[in-house]
Amino acid sequence: MSLLDIRNLNVSFGSTAQPFHAVSGLDLTVNRGEIVGIVGESGSGKSVTMLAMMGLVDAPGRVTADALQFNGQDLLGMKAAQKRKIIGKDIAMIFQDALTSLNPAYTVGFQLMETLKLHTPLRGAALRRRALELLEQVEIPDAKSRLEAYPHQLSGGMSQRVMIAMAIACEPKLLIADEPTTALDVTVQAQIMELLVNLQKQNEMALILITHDLAVVAEVAQRMVVMYAGEVVESSATDALFATPRHPYTQALLASIPEHSKGARRLSTLAGVVPGQYDRPQGCLLSPRCPYVTDTCRSTKPALLPLMGTSVRCLTPLDSSGIPTHE
Amino acid sequence: MNNQSTPNTILEAKGLSRHYSVSRGFLQGHATVKALNDVSFQLAAGKTLAVVGESGCGKSTLARQLTLIEEPSSGHLVIDGVDIANADAAALKALRPKVQMVFQNPFASLNPRKQIGSMLAEPLLLNTRLNASEREQRVREMLNIVGLRPEHYHRYPHMFSGGQRQRIAIARAMMLKPAVLVADEPTSALDVSIQAQILNLFMDLQDELGTAYVFVSHNLAVVEHIADDVMVMYFGSTVEYGDKKTIFEQPLHPYTRALMSATPAIRQEDRRAKMKLTGELPSPLNPPTGCAFSTRCPYADSRCRAEVPPLRPLANRMIACHHIENIAR
Repeated sequence: MSLLDIRNLNVSFGSTAQPFHAVSGLDLTVNRGEIVGIVGESGSGKSVTMLAMMGLVDAPGRVTADALQFNGQDLLGMKAAQKRKIIGKDIAMIFQDALTSLNPAYTVGFQLMETLKLHTPLRGAALRRRALELLEQVEIPDAKSRLEAYPHQLSGGMSQRVMIAMAIACEPKLLIADEPTTALDVTVQAQIMELLVNLQKQNEMALILITHDLAVVAEVAQRMVVMYAGEVVESSATDALFATPRHPYTQALLASIPEHSKGARRLSTLAGVVPGQYDRPQGCLLSPRCPYVTDTCRSTKPALLPLMGTSVRCLTPLDSSGIPTHE
Repeated sequence: MNNQSTPNTILEAKGLSRHYSVSRGFLQGHATVKALNDVSFQLAAGKTLAVVGESGCGKSTLARQLTLIEEPSSGHLVIDGVDIANADAAALKALRPKVQMVFQNPFASLNPRKQIGSMLAEPLLLNTRLNASEREQRVREMLNIVGLRPEHYHRYPHMFSGGQRQRIAIARAMMLKPAVLVADEPTSALDVSIQAQILNLFMDLQDELGTAYVFVSHNLAVVEHIADDVMVMYFGSTVEYGDKKTIFEQPLHPYTRALMSATPAIRQEDRRAKMKLTGELPSPLNPPTGCAFSTRCPYADSRCRAEVPPLRPLANRMIACHHIENIAR
């Protein structure tokens, strides 16, 4: 049985008469000890999906799903008090901007121990020992004195390490990292990614990596989910996704990375932007930007269908040479 | 890359330094932060110099000196043949339109209370004698060049997406047809597909108008795409400077190599052997003696910790490292 099983998740905001679907019909399963990458541009619904699962979408946002199961328990019908026992303990999340995620008024040690106090029976010296151990685990130099440090005394990389220490404090079964390295420099990014993957291996934790940078996940994720305008457009094994993207959006996303057009004067681009609340097209959501668009695409919404081991939401998915298959 | 000024050199820095005096607190006296140390380069008209490095390496300080926002503590900056050290106020006023800047965050760099049209007309109002209708015509031409629509003229910044805002910022910088455009991380706040559009715009403008770029970035994939010359900076100093092809094909300085190996790659063949750097940038208030990189460098020895390595020519580039001959290969 998979660790996390989300079926038909919908998140909408705004009035019920004219709702804006931030996430629609999302299915996602994550197995124990697996690394899954969720990629997409801003506004594609990556973060909202995870917030909805954690129960962090407040009214007037509406969350519905056919199933929202974690480790065999139903998160959807669960009482808030019971949910709090799971969230922060078995499911933990780290956010993009570590500096704003930490409370500036308390020391790092206090914030770390607060999490431990809430979810473990540790108290007193044992609590402090565990906090120190966690800081050492995330490779913070001179951990003992850092316990007394305030967030403003730490660099971006250090604060992200503290966030990771807080997230892994209760040995979660699932860690969600929302753009964990976007605000960091490349050499620090490499260190943080290595740390996350090592922790994932040590603790056999499942890891969901949300990012807009395909290269970051390419090296570590086993499976990738590509999102566009609130929908999953392609889901496949990492190698297969990069070797033969089946959805035109995935293909365009890959092509727009400078690494992929080495030597070319111009980069290939996808014209336009992700549709917003008022300009969502009637048919396929990519149809205004898709280079292979047909009349059918403009009127018919494609479904996410299995295709040679992957799932693709396209009426004319691309073949292995990157050309649409018209029947 | 030579040390003689070629006739078409548009921007030249010779030993440019910028030091800041910072207060350490009550009764503590002042400390000096050496944000930029002895940086030299030449930029030819229509070419692109990429300045690469992590936060705190002095990239943005360099950008502020080049755009005459601040005066360098020492060294020379020559813009279009005029040394700014000898320039009086009138000469400086004439130089400023020649170097313009695009900032990193298009959500912060545009005045939310101004319409796009008047924002773009402002440089013309201040620096030219064009009348209102001529200004409007120039603004509309520029909107077209950067790929915005005529109806955007009367809109406010909040009505635009990040990519469009960056187009506006670029249009504003290009209004006076500068000889040099300094772009400080212009795509790092954008999604990859939008980043590609903006990079294409930079390339098109350069082809069309012959503007030289100083392109500050930490993204090596972007730099490899856009640059002609590459200057890698660490802790305020140049560590490696040369032609793009030379640097990317055979990076020599341990820091350049670490940067390249840390950049994640999608294709297996593009991934370089990982070179793990420990630690982070040292504190500018408490700089290490000797080579600034010695605290993180896997090859550092006692000499590195005592002596500052000079920037010297080697293998078609300038490089600052004591042990480069021993560690290359």
